[in-house]
Amino acid sequence: MDFNTLILPLLILVPLIGAVLTLFMGGNRAKYANLVALVFTLITLVLSLVVMITPVGELDKFNFTADWINAGGLKMSFIFVVDGLSILMVFLTAMLEVLVMAFSYKQSDRPNYFYALLLAIEVGLMGVYLSADYFLFYIMWEVSLIPMYFLISWYGGPRRHYSAIKFFIYTHVASLIMLIGIFCMVFESAHLAGSATVDFSFAFVKQWMAGADSVFQILVFAMLFFGFAVKMPAVPFHTWLPDAHVEAPTAGSVLLAGVMLKMGSYGIIRVCIEALPGALGSWQYIVIAIGLVSMIYGAYACIAQRDLKKMVAYSSISHMGLVMVAMGAAMGGAAAGDANLVKMGIEFAIFQMFAHGLISGMLFLVCGTAGHNFGTREIPLMGGMAGKVPVYAAFMMFAFMASLGLPGLIGFWGEFGIIAAFYQWIEPNGMLYLLVICLLSLLLTAGYYLWAMQRTLFGRLTTKLDFAHVHDVDRVEAVVLGVLAFAIAIYGFWPDLALSYVTGYAQAWAVI
Amino acid sequence: MIILDYVWLVPLIPVLCFVIVGFLGNKMGPKMAEGGFLVIAGTAASFVIALLCTLEYVGFIGDGGLYPDAVTNSITWFSVGSYTLTFGYYIDILSCLMMLFASFISLMIFTYSLGYMHDQGPRQRRYFAEVALFLTGMLGLAVSSTLLELFIFWEIMGLCSYLLIGFWSFNHPEGDDKADNAASAAKKAFLVTRLGDVCLMGGLFVLFFTMGGLEYTTVFNATNLANAWAANSGLLTLAALLIFGGVIGKSAQFPLLDWLPDAMAGPTTVSALIHAATMVKAGVYLVARCFPLFVLEPNVMLFVAIIGGVTAFFAATMAMNNMNIKKVLAYSTLSQLGYMFLSLGAGGYMMALSIEVTGGQIIIQNPEYFTIGCLGYAAGCLHMVNHAFFKALLFLCSGSVIHANGTEDMRLMGGLYKQMPKTAITMLIGTLSIAGFPFFAGFFSKDLVLDVVFEAFHETSANVNYLFIFLWFLGIVTAFMTAFYMFRLWFMTFMGEYRGHHCHGESPKSMTVPLMILAIFAFGAGFALLLGWDGVFTFFGNHHTEGEVLQWIVGGWDRPNVGIHWIEELFTNWKTYVTIVLVIVAIALAYLMYVKKSINPGKFSKDGQSWLYRTISNRYYFPEIYNQFSWKLGYDVARGVDFIDKQIIDGTVNGLSNAVCGSGDLMSKAQDGNLHTYASVVLGGIVVLFVAVMLLFFYGGVF
Repeated sequence: MDFNTLILPLLILVPLIGAVLTLFMGGNRAKYANLVALVFTLITLVLSLVVMITPVGELDKFNFTADWINAGGLKMSFIFVVDGLSILMVFLTAMLEVLVMAFSYKQSDRPNYFYALLLAIEVGLMGVYLSADYFLFYIMWEVSLIPMYFLISWYGGPRRHYSAIKFFIYTHVASLIMLIGIFCMVFESAHLAGSATVDFSFAFVKQWMAGADSVFQILVFAMLFFGFAVKMPAVPFHTWLPDAHVEAPTAGSVLLAGVMLKMGSYGIIRVCIEALPGALGSWQYIVIAIGLVSMIYGAYACIAQRDLKKMVAYSSISHMGLVMVAMGAAMGGAAAGDANLVKMGIEFAIFQMFAHGLISGMLFLVCGTAGHNFGTREIPLMGGMAGKVPVYAAFMMFAFMASLGLPGLIGFWGEFGIIAAFYQWIEPNGMLYLLVICLLSLLLTAGYYLWAMQRTLFGRLTTKLDFAHVHDVDRVEAVVLGVLAFAIAIYGFWPDLALSYVTGYAQAWAVI
Repeated sequence: MIILDYVWLVPLIPVLCFVIVGFLGNKMGPKMAEGGFLVIAGTAASFVIALLCTLEYVGFIGDGGLYPDAVTNSITWFSVGSYTLTFGYYIDILSCLMMLFASFISLMIFTYSLGYMHDQGPRQRRYFAEVALFLTGMLGLAVSSTLLELFIFWEIMGLCSYLLIGFWSFNHPEGDDKADNAASAAKKAFLVTRLGDVCLMGGLFVLFFTMGGLEYTTVFNATNLANAWAANSGLLTLAALLIFGGVIGKSAQFPLLDWLPDAMAGPTTVSALIHAATMVKAGVYLVARCFPLFVLEPNVMLFVAIIGGVTAFFAATMAMNNMNIKKVLAYSTLSQLGYMFLSLGAGGYMMALSIEVTGGQIIIQNPEYFTIGCLGYAAGCLHMVNHAFFKALLFLCSGSVIHANGTEDMRLMGGLYKQMPKTAITMLIGTLSIAGFPFFAGFFSKDLVLDVVFEAFHETSANVNYLFIFLWFLGIVTAFMTAFYMFRLWFMTFMGEYRGHHCHGESPKSMTVPLMILAIFAFGAGFALLLGWDGVFTFFGNHHTEGEVLQWIVGGWDRPNVGIHWIEELFTNWKTYVTIVLVIVAIALAYLMYVKKSINPGKFSKDGQSWLYRTISNRYYFPEIYNQFSWKLGYDVARGVDFIDKQIIDGTVNGLSNAVCGSGDLMSKAQDGNLHTYASVVLGGIVVLFVAVMLLFFYGGVF
């Protein structure tokens, strides 16, 4: 067997083996657990880099197919595929896993379970991004959910049980509804194909769904979209996110915001948009409306927050709203036959997912560091911190500036590209005023970040903190944050490093 | 093209300095640790390259001049959709001018900073790293070849402005209140300019899809513009207005002017560099750069002129009674920027009237109007350069005074002439220049500005001419006020009795030498006109060849007599003598009030009790309005959203879950009956699945 075809299954298997191994490293072996877990995440990162350095046109050679269940008229297989859409997410997952593993080297409470859970989350995430079979996709979706639940409810803050249950119920209900959508799609495809076996593979469904009744497509879209939108999360299905973030340990938050939210938007592109072309025209307005509301609502909610981490959590809602808008614009383009708009919308939706993954990862690391190093994340308790913890202040400022879309950093290109794509959607629709909403959200974003910096880093030195216990970032934290900052700057300077992967995928789309 | 090929080094050298000083500074040994010498050397290198490039461009060195054609070169950056974005440089005479004066003044100010910041210890490293990054932004902006690239550098400057205003926003040497003040000023500056910047960004989107790209060569191309104008003139007008929105923010024009006085919380060198000489000029540069777009619609240019005139007047009134030496200079910066926009707007209006867009071409119908337009453009740019010299000088002088006295309050100064003669004389030169005293740099450019506005009144008909005579009147009154408040400043600082506590005496050489060099320019920059350097300033010259006109960088260089012609006209014009008389009267008035004290200034303000005085002291309530605006539209709405989030959305969810899980709070459930809740969720899932399978039966009939 060709080694190339083994890489994708290995991307899932390696963290799985790592998870099992670290799980049993309790007791006096616990001090090696971090190292072992780090090695496994590093191997995964190397494997993902092997995929990354392959030219986008040759990604087919990694495809993996194996039979799994083929009985009772149901055909479920192990199909792993990587393409321009998933490759960046795979890389992001592998990279963030390494970074959070290094970052949480100080974990002292049941460390073996902690690292095992982080690796288990990687299994689920890789599975979601790589599988090309609906049944496998759904299983992996659930696999990523459960370790996160335990991570929050075991290692979280004071209200962890409430938050973990809320997280679980929200996402579980959403994924059940998504499952119904998947069943509808799969069985209807088999029905249309007139085949006796129900094939769960993406390719089969995509082939037959395009010809399905458009009302059916619109209804199925609703179910799937609900499942994915909760995960993204979109207003008004978002309230699980701030709670989960506030209670989750730093490593969990980074993964949750960095890559887990992207499962939602990935699902919308991969399933809703790819497989249900007949529903796009009718759904574009709702998708865009939800996106715009999320952008503004999330940004306003940020202003009112007192907890740094909660503020950053709401900013994720706002920035994922941008992704939603881009997808809506692409849907509109597909419905109107505007190839250029489809291409731009899809390209920048994916790019923004990647950008937000890096930036929000850094943001949550910064907020987590505040919690660990200062003993609080409450904005009103801080003030003038820049004088005491200058390195921390520099990282925080960098992360905030990246998130508010400072040109030259990666966040700017996501915003710029998406609003540019959206402009192409609003102009023919005669809704130029919608541009104002986008621009207002950019202004609000700058507002809450700068206000937060003014109150935490600058001004008079706070008297509410015990500075005997406040310390600046340590070496490991500095390296982890530095790597992310470097990535944000490099991709910001040369966005083509990420965009070039996406272009091919978007190009294929633009043909329809 | 020997040196011009390397023009990209001009912005690259400062960014290297930034990286070295910012990231490696602590490893460079004690002498270099502050990074000052490295940054100064880098700036000098940038300046030399910029100078050589300019000389080659105009043909003093190398194989013949390239002027007036732009030299441009770019590489593909990335593609979006079916568009390709490029990254490169675009050199024409405007870029040359911009990078020359920006790098030269930066060099002076950085040298001065060595002395001014020497007592700041390790903070100097941060200072020099940040100013180096700022210089990258400024020089990058000057050589950009696309509007998007320009926007990136534009924002980098905004970031540096934020960082440097907030230089003392923590551990302020003078106490916590100052630190709070600096932190708040930095935020205000960033947010108010950001309001403009998002407008600019919106304008770029509109322009991008209307013109099919943002390269200068695409956008400012006569054929492209004419076609786009024919296709959709409304969108192009919208783009121009949105771009001007960005300019209003960056150059602190009415109504976004209030951040600039607050920005004086930063070090004085920063005020001199960013908030007087360079960054705020980026707006003027952008309008000059986008002239071809702006002149398509006369009303856009009229708007520019009105904003400029109104700002010039209002800012000048606010400088009249301020006691803070830096704030007076800040208001005068606003006022002078207003002059530049007044000039560009009035000239642009005439140019807009002179051209006609027909059949994919832009044709000049009225050469006379067009000449006035060129004059307006040239006067605006000339005033931009002159102002950079004299305002940098004035700020640095005030920095020298503040450095020696430890206060910014003019009531605690006075009689400093004896202790600081070099500062006093150089500052006098700057003051004469900004006041528009004959033969000083400011005189030439300001009178040209007023001349253009008067010409616009003279030539236009209908109701517009009333507007222009009003603007001209505002300009004249502003000139009078400028001379008055600047001499008030100088007299209060350097004449009379010393009213402060202690003065350290004259500043060190590293500070006074830059002052003297700048003083030479503050006096002599206006004579550039006389020397036949008009090519630099008369981009449009009298070039009337139709069709070629919208190459936009034409004519003039081979017509050295044009400048002399203008100077001739200046001195054979009754209006010039009106302003000269006004200036002298203003100086005399200031002398009588603040030196001889034969007129009591309190008489006019009822000792600070008149409503006008109070309104002006409160800056026309602008800070109040900004505050109300941001609290009402920002924080209050945010509180509402937070309420919706916590009470309505979460309330509904918690209520639903209570209904499902039985009575009681979800949280208590979670604690005492983890399994119970989990089980009910799973049960719910199974029910849903069952329903789904049933539905499938009925719908598909698969099984």
